[in-house]
Formats: sequence, structure tokens, C-alpha cells
Amino acid sequence: MTFSTFSEQRFFAYPNKHSIKGVVVNANMVAYAPDGLAVFLMERTANPTYIIDPQTHAFQHDPAAIRNKEGEVKSSIHSLSQHLGEPVASCVIDERPLRPADFTDDAILKDFVGRCLTFQRTALSVAMAQCDANKYIAQTQQQLEPYALLSPYFYLTERSAPEWLPVCLRLAQAAADAKNHNKLYVPLVLNKAALVNTAIRSAIAARFKNINCDGFTIWIDDLNEHESSSTLLTAFRNLALQLRANGARDVLNLHGGYFSILAGSALGNNAFSGVAHGPEFGEFRSVVPVGGGIPIARYYVPQLHTRIRYREAADMFRRKGWLKTAAAFHENVCSCEICKSVIDGDPGNFVKFGASNAKLVKRGRGYVRMDFPTTQTKENCLCHYLERKHLEYAASAAGDAQLIADLDKGIADFEGTFGSEAVEHLYTWKRVFRPTPEADLGI
Amino acid sequence: MNNRFRHKQMPGEYEMVSSLTEFLVAGGYRVRHEVPNMGQSVDLVATRGRFLTFVEAKLRDWRRALNQCRAHKLVADYICIAIASHEVSESLLVEARQFGYGVIHFNRETHIYQWVNEPIRNGDVWKAQRKQLTRALRAIDYAN
Repeated sequence: MTFSTFSEQRFFAYPNKHSIKGVVVNANMVAYAPDGLAVFLMERTANPTYIIDPQTHAFQHDPAAIRNKEGEVKSSIHSLSQHLGEPVASCVIDERPLRPADFTDDAILKDFVGRCLTFQRTALSVAMAQCDANKYIAQTQQQLEPYALLSPYFYLTERSAPEWLPVCLRLAQAAADAKNHNKLYVPLVLNKAALVNTAIRSAIAARFKNINCDGFTIWIDDLNEHESSSTLLTAFRNLALQLRANGARDVLNLHGGYFSILAGSALGNNAFSGVAHGPEFGEFRSVVPVGGGIPIARYYVPQLHTRIRYREAADMFRRKGWLKTAAAFHENVCSCEICKSVIDGDPGNFVKFGASNAKLVKRGRGYVRMDFPTTQTKENCLCHYLERKHLEYAASAAGDAQLIADLDKGIADFEGTFGSEAVEHLYTWKRVFRPTPEADLGI
Repeated sequence: MNNRFRHKQMPGEYEMVSSLTEFLVAGGYRVRHEVPNMGQSVDLVATRGRFLTFVEAKLRDWRRALNQCRAHKLVADYICIAIASHEVSESLLVEARQFGYGVIHFNRETHIYQWVNEPIRNGDVWKAQRKQLTRALRAIDYAN
């Protein structure tokens, strides 16, 4: 699971300490708060397996993206740039984006890679070794290093790939030469146009094949599995399969949902060896961050494998008659521990997944009252989500027929009442894993 | 419900809500503005007796209003769309009748508000959610 804020750290041991196989931490957070993160990893997770995403792409975008409202470089990004050194540090000072030409000099590139890997090796492991929690188990700093190092990387679009792909390859090659005893993953960050471009996809698969690495991380810009076409998702899975090299290498999707879990199962030919996401959010993410907006309570609907607004979930369940009794709710919607506890025999308690407080928010010339989920509501929704994710990962070990039957059940439960839009994504996912011959489309 | 109110010029959204308030008050309602409900904000909630009427006011985008009204079915006794378009679209009326929503029109030519379609009592109120709304309403002052 991807670390987001310290307020959410206790959920990394939910529903149990072993639910989460590892933690993805962004390098800017590591640079900013290494001691706090070290304590979190040592004390709040069952085993401190982690990787640090070096976030080097942050320096290739519009410099405004790494600045706060006052126009100053964000503290965490500034700290990271100091650790990474040249050519990043100069770009930050000069307020310009990093360009492929900044890596023309091999010596600069190699030094940059060296600093990036050293930062990942030591930034947390040194602090973790000194933690109170390590006093009795006395793990060495080397034992506490990340599960794998990530080579520095940059964002590839369909337009920029010809310029940036060679740089990414040289960075990966230099990282492979400098990885020493550590495992190495090569991050690939693409936009959707680059992903569906067969030439780019083939070039990536062919050129990274010979890099001496243990695996890859993949992040497709803003790829929402619930709204993507089967063409896009098929391209995604195919790229992962090519990189997997029949299981010889790991492929970790940094931002994925249930489609990626299925793609990582036997149904998807184990295209992914792992899938990461944030606590409740982060199943898709933009490479250049956008504002978060006003928080809203969302309930994860198990049959649809998606989080929907509380009011829509309540409307759906009410129309289906699933809020008539607690038994109907548990039989048809969810019987996870958190739902049993919240519903507590009264289906009216479903409101606890949407309870909110009104606050005044400035809008234009005046103020409007907006609902903000209560702390308890957020916790209920998050814990339910984590319970369901835990169950989804476990269930993905089931046979192909059962996984397809689960998608079919979601379609059968919702399509008749709410129309095909509600279940479009389930049909799409099915098509990816069980392609329909063109002759059978009936067009 | 054939109340009529005269106005001098085409209102903006704020003015439209103010005028609507007058119109509804004249019909015997007490009105609250900007009532939060399940992550949305309802333009007007009008109370008469024990019944709650939700009104979404739009200068022209009635399709957006229809979407907003969907979740109101869990809590409102009556649901209405107030529209200030040049004329009331036939499509709006068809959809409103289908869902039992009322339609209030502000006529730009005559500057008159009037009921075009009266709402039908919603029988799908979910008591549990209504209780949440009632609690929230207590904290909001009437606009009239």
C-alpha cells in the first residue's frame, strides 16, 4: 500500500498485520520526514518491507507543479533535490524543467544515479536501525534497506518518448551497474497514448529486456480501470506480460484496482506480480498532481469493485431492497467485519457510512454549506474498503471460472436495475480476459 | 398552487433563489437555503407542515438539476426543479412527470413564476437518512 499521510499509518495493519505485503513511500516524504517514516515502518507494520519511489519525474514538469501557493519550492521536494544533486538541484534553483539534454554527459548521469540509489539505501535504513523498536531485534542497516531500489525515471508521453526513452534506458543501465547487493526495479511511467502506441510499447519491452534488473514498476498516467476501454486495458496487460518474461521478473503496478488484481491472477496470466494503491484512494493517479477537491464519503461496492458516492450507494441499495433488513444487506451487499459492526442488526445504520457535518465553504462571492464526512465516517469507509481489498486479493487465487462468475454476478445484480452504464467496466474487464471473437460480436 | 410574482428583469442565480423564496413563502412555505444533503447542497428546502419540498433552481441547465434531484428521493417528500429558461422544455416535463418532480417556471417575458407541473408525493423516503437530514436542518435558519 502506498503511504500517504501519518494520520493513516494505523490502517497499514488493517484488517490484520499481515494484510499488506509492503509499503511504497515517495522519496520526497522520505527526504522530509525520515525519522517519522522509520518509526512507522518499524512499529506500525508487521514486516518493514518497503520501496522508495524516487519521484525524479517531478522535476521534468512545469516548475509550478513543485511549488506551493506562495511560489516557493515545496519543502519536501526541496529536500529531495538536495539529496539528488545535479542536474536536478540547478533546475530547481533556475525554476526550469529538467530536459533530456541535462543528461547528455555520462559522468553527470552516473553520479546522479549513484546519489539516487544511495539515498534509497540509506535514508530510512539508517534511521530504522537506530529505532527503539530495533533495540532487541538488532537488525543491521543493510537488512533494513528497501526491498528493491528503483532507478531514476522520467515520464514518457507519445510525443516525448523519442527524447526521454533513451535517457531512461541509460539511467536504468547505470542503476544496474551500481545496484551492488540490492534488487533493482526499473520504473516505467507512461501516458495512455504512449501505452496504446504499439511501436513505443514494443520499444520499451525490447530495450529494457537486456537491462540487468529484477523487475519493473508501472504507472500509467490517470488510468482509471473503471472508465478505460478494453483496448487500453489489453495494451496495459500485454506490456506487463512482455516485461514479466514468463515470471522471471516482477512487475508491480503502482496504482491499480481490481482489474489489476485480476490481471495479476491466473486469469490474467499473472501479468502483475503485485498491485499497489493508497488507503482507499490511489487506484489511479495523475503524474502531475491535481487538487483534491472537497472530500466526500464513498462506499466500496463489492460486486462492482468500485467506490461510489455514499448517496448513490444508498440509492442503489434502497432500490434493490437491500436496506430492508440487516440480513438482506449482509447477504446482498457486504458481510465484512466492519459492515457487521456498523450495521449492528439495523440496516438504517448504513447512514454511518455517509454521516457528515456541514461547514461553510467560500464559493464565488458568497458561502455555501457543504457536507464534510465525519472522522468516524471516513474510518468506516476506509476500513470496509481495506477489508474488501484483503478479500479480493485472497479470492484472486480462485480458478478462472469463479473469477469470471463473480464479474457475471455483479452484472446480473446491477444491470437490470441501473442500466448498462453501472456495469460497463465489468463487461470491459471480461472482454480483456476472455476476448470475444469479432464474428461473435453480432455487429 | 397558482401563485404569481412579478419581477422587473431576468435574474441571476442568486436573485432567482431570492425570488423563488418569496414565491414559496407566498404559498405558505418556510424556506431554507443551501441545505447540505449527502455531499450535495440543495438550493432550497421548503417546509410546510411535516412535509419537506426540495427545490433545485437553475437558470437553464435542467439536466443537471435532474441529476441532483436523484439523491433527494431518499429524503424529500416533494422534489421540484425551478427553471428560468425562455420556455419549459418538453423533454424536461416528460422526465419530471416520469419521476414525479414538480416544475416551477420563471417566464422571462412576463416575469412571472408559476407551477407548470405539480410534484407527486415521494413514497420512497428512507427514514434513517431523513433523520440525519432533520438533525442537519435544525442547525440552519429559515431564510424568511
